Amino acid sequence: MTDIGMILQKLGGTLVGEVVPKLEGDYAGGQAGMVGMMAIMAGEAWDGAADRLYREVEGMRALLAAGGVDIKTQPDSFKLFDLTALRNTLADELIELQTRLETSDDEAAKALNTQIWGFFLAGAAERMPNPPQFEEEAG
Amino acid sequence: MPEAVQDQALADAFAAYAETRMADASNIEVTQLARIHGGASRETFTVDIAFDGSNGRETKGLILRKDPPDSLIDTDRKVEFAAIRSMTGAGIPAPDALFLEPDQKHLGAPFFVMGRIEGGVPVNPFRIEEVEPHREAIGRQFFRHLGSIAKVDPATSPLADEIDTPSPDTCWKRELDYWENEIDTNARAPQPISKAAIRHLRRNPPPPAQRLSIVHGDYRSGNYLHDSAGSINAVLDWEMAHIGDPYEDLAWATDPLWSGSDKELAAGLLPWPEAIAIWQETSGCTFDPAAFEWWSIFASVKAMGIWISSARAFADGKNDDPILAWSGWFTHCAHELTLASRLAPKYGVEMPA
Repeated sequence: MTDIGMILQKLGGTLVGEVVPKLEGDYAGGQAGMVGMMAIMAGEAWDGAADRLYREVEGMRALLAAGGVDIKTQPDSFKLFDLTALRNTLADELIELQTRLETSDDEAAKALNTQIWGFFLAGAAERMPNPPQFEEEAG
Repeated sequence: MPEAVQDQALADAFAAYAETRMADASNIEVTQLARIHGGASRETFTVDIAFDGSNGRETKGLILRKDPPDSLIDTDRKVEFAAIRSMTGAGIPAPDALFLEPDQKHLGAPFFVMGRIEGGVPVNPFRIEEVEPHREAIGRQFFRHLGSIAKVDPATSPLADEIDTPSPDTCWKRELDYWENEIDTNARAPQPISKAAIRHLRRNPPPPAQRLSIVHGDYRSGNYLHDSAGSINAVLDWEMAHIGDPYEDLAWATDPLWSGSDKELAAGLLPWPEAIAIWQETSGCTFDPAAFEWWSIFASVKAMGIWISSARAFADGKNDDPILAWSGWFTHCAHELTLASRLAPKYGVEMPA
């Protein structure tokens, strides 16, 4: 855990564990509970965020290359902002590629579409935060 | 302890307004006014009033639903009001719809007022087990009420005066078009999973609706109250009500997110065969696996539309309620995973055991 992740988790823990009980029954208590819970989640997500984005970029780049779309663009940096921008560019290309594949009866197209769905499934599972521990009502 | 009246200016304005609407009441005083957490589609307040009535000094509990700057769901309060009124006499424990006020001059925004249902406990979708030891009893009522809503004749209901009625074979397309537009308009990043799911749904349309029904639109755990003794005493949050295919409500109510991810119990409450049997009996519909499958995938697409719109409102600063950030993150991820898990096997992906 990086320091920032640790700080976010501790801040969230303080809100949920110490502030919220003192605001029980008040609208602000519900707000504080949600903020605290998401600070804990952000702390957990912090450390792996850049790595996850980088692997999404590389995964999409490989799928696009397999579909004849060769995008060699590299991110301007490994900042989350730059990685996200490149991920979004590639995601738009992937939507176009998959739409084309779906209209083809070609076995190779079907196989590549299967790979894309496998990528979607793995990525969605990886992005899923841990279920929160609710102290107050939410959702 | 929170103050009894948290916003005196709002309380005074509300009392003045109530004087004009309650013919048999005078000297109305707001004795308690507090905002309720979690009402993301409208600002929701619990209000106690005292007044001189035909039986002397009386009290009444109310719920005030006021339009926020931007809400989780962009809906017209007239529709919600009409939907609640449409349940009169249907055996659905909906609140009394009392006043609808479109003019913002009274409270600074349009609003409506309902009678408060006393003693009701909400169910957190992430802690459904808290309804024990009444899970089965609650489950039977949950699916009976759902079927009863579907049984109401929409053509003669107040709701039909407020919204369009689609034909049975176009319900699905109207809903899918609407939510795809919500996603396209509000997405802050490309949505390859949602877009692939939408294309799948268009290529594989459902059978026409067996009947046109009033669709609650958000019937699920979290949107009903129970009395802690085995009875549902309120079905809430009618703001997404419309006329359409009753399978939309059945699929939404049993979506994994609202079921505590319990695959054995429909809506986290009742074994699937029993739940479906009750719904069939009360709705008059025949369970069709193909229709249910389509509407179940659609439910996740619709959810994505809501979560994406929420994230947009939060990011744009239109509404700082943290529940919008939560919706744009956790529940967004949950429904992306649900969509990928439902669809990947259909396209040849072998699922892990």
